[in-house]
Amino acid sequence: MAENLLEVTDLTVRFGGLTAVNKFDIAVQRGTIHALIGPNGAGKSTTFNCISRFYEPTAGRILLNGVDVTRSPASAMAGLGVARTFQNLELFGELTVFENVMIGAHVHAGRSWADALSARPSGVVDHIEHLLQRTGLTAYRNTVARNLDFGHQKLLELARALAIRPRLLLLDEPAAGLRNREIAALDALLTDLCRREGITILLVEHVMQLVMAISDRVTVLNFGTKIAEGTPDEVRNDPSVIEAYLGQEMVHA
Amino acid sequence: MSDKSVLMFPRPKSDTPGLAKPGSMLLTQGALMALGAAALIVLPFLVTGYVLYIANLLLVFIVLCLGLHLVIGETGQFALAHAAFYGIGIYTSGLAGNALGWPFPLSMLLAGLVAGAVGLVIGAVALRMRDIYLALATFAFGEAMQWVFLNWDQVTGGPNGLRISPARLGSLEVLTDRQAYPVVVIVALLMIVLTVVISRSRLGRSFRAVRESDVAAMAMGIPVRRAKITAFGLSAFYAGIAGSMFATFSTYIHPDSLGFQTTILVLTMVVVGGLGSITGAVGGAIVFGLISEFLRQTPSYQEIIYGLILIVFMMYAPRGLFAFVRDLMGRMARG
Repeated sequence: MAENLLEVTDLTVRFGGLTAVNKFDIAVQRGTIHALIGPNGAGKSTTFNCISRFYEPTAGRILLNGVDVTRSPASAMAGLGVARTFQNLELFGELTVFENVMIGAHVHAGRSWADALSARPSGVVDHIEHLLQRTGLTAYRNTVARNLDFGHQKLLELARALAIRPRLLLLDEPAAGLRNREIAALDALLTDLCRREGITILLVEHVMQLVMAISDRVTVLNFGTKIAEGTPDEVRNDPSVIEAYLGQEMVHA
Repeated sequence: MSDKSVLMFPRPKSDTPGLAKPGSMLLTQGALMALGAAALIVLPFLVTGYVLYIANLLLVFIVLCLGLHLVIGETGQFALAHAAFYGIGIYTSGLAGNALGWPFPLSMLLAGLVAGAVGLVIGAVALRMRDIYLALATFAFGEAMQWVFLNWDQVTGGPNGLRISPARLGSLEVLTDRQAYPVVVIVALLMIVLTVVISRSRLGRSFRAVRESDVAAMAMGIPVRRAKITAFGLSAFYAGIAGSMFATFSTYIHPDSLGFQTTILVLTMVVVGGLGSITGAVGGAIVFGLISEFLRQTPSYQEIIYGLILIVFMMYAPRGLFAFVRDLMGRMARG
């Protein structure tokens, strides 16, 4: 078992003449919450989409638990225990909350023929109920996803990702658009997922209040290059980070 | 009365598919199904051969609609080659009966499998494209197949059409619509059950996931391309089976009836019935099949009336006839 659950080395992504990410390294330790931050256009989302295998890196290597997944198809990642959410929600809009989460359990729902044919496979249904409860969605189980309010849609995406039973959870701006009270709840939920269940979390986030409160480690990207890495406190006081965010206010937790 | 009815129809406008229905609705549903089954059983004792011919035809349309429902309604892929697979089914089962003398259950299965296999190959190519490009590519395949049916004289009889010898099973021969009816009913019911099973299963969920968001489906571990190709192949299998059903009660097939018009007719049935629901596909086949039969005497009006119906539904009941009726009943019950 490798010490780092995720190890990205020398990641480079070019779109035509534009280098979005340049020789980027990141190592995410097992059982930690690791944040990837940086100003707009720094290459965070590109990196994120390479790791979740939605983008093809131009160069570099991505190791998951010591196994090279650099060329794995995106649809193979759930089976490897990697779950992701999307910056702009990607729910199954016309389906119910329950069915959304059920599809999250796709890789676990085909253990037997009886399960594969069932509308409520016995192997996963309890876990789904548990996730609905945990995210406060039980009352909305039969609501069509697109009819939920924004905050609940975000929670549904998280519940659906958790149905994969991930060891690595990739969150793309989970707090964006949430109200303060909702961010506090998200803070508690993510901390709990990591500390109690040992799920490793890598998040891209702009809401510094959340990043500084829950992260064990923070990596800062600017213009596709890593400019700093360390604990929230170290990063907060790093001159190059302050410079990168010049003109932007860093909200302290 | 009115208070109770509110409970029975808890949805105003927003649809919630998969909503657990109250017991009373389940009961009505069960009663309806029992009624339908009874009607199917007594029908041949009450009506003429012509009516049974219509019934057989409607059952064929039901299976065609179920197939198109799987690929368009469930998976959201606009494939427009249904008539081609239907034709492959008719010719395959017809030829297996004519030339090889196969018993009809076997030739039916062969028809489904051949159509399904062709569907998988075409799907693997066409489903690299999406939306309008997919529609055009599958349309082109449909046209090409009709050309093949018209010009492959040695096999299909070309423009002369093909005489289909009566379906056989041992010493049994299916000579009339009345004799074909039980076979057609049983196969249609099996296909309905199969559709329900697929729709409820993990496979059906992966189809709907692909329809709703292919990137999210991918993130959930669903191989999106494979799911699309599977849906397309299944849809072709259904069309092939429908073709073989047709071959049990029909004595003749001509390529003219296997063109784009037939695909559009089936598409109209599925849309008018209600895209994305099995009830819609079955109901659309019955209602629109009947309309099209009544209009058979006036072919020039037929096209116009199809068009009008389609436009009216798109404007006033885009979720289909059955969703429309359900909403209407709900509104009436609430007063």
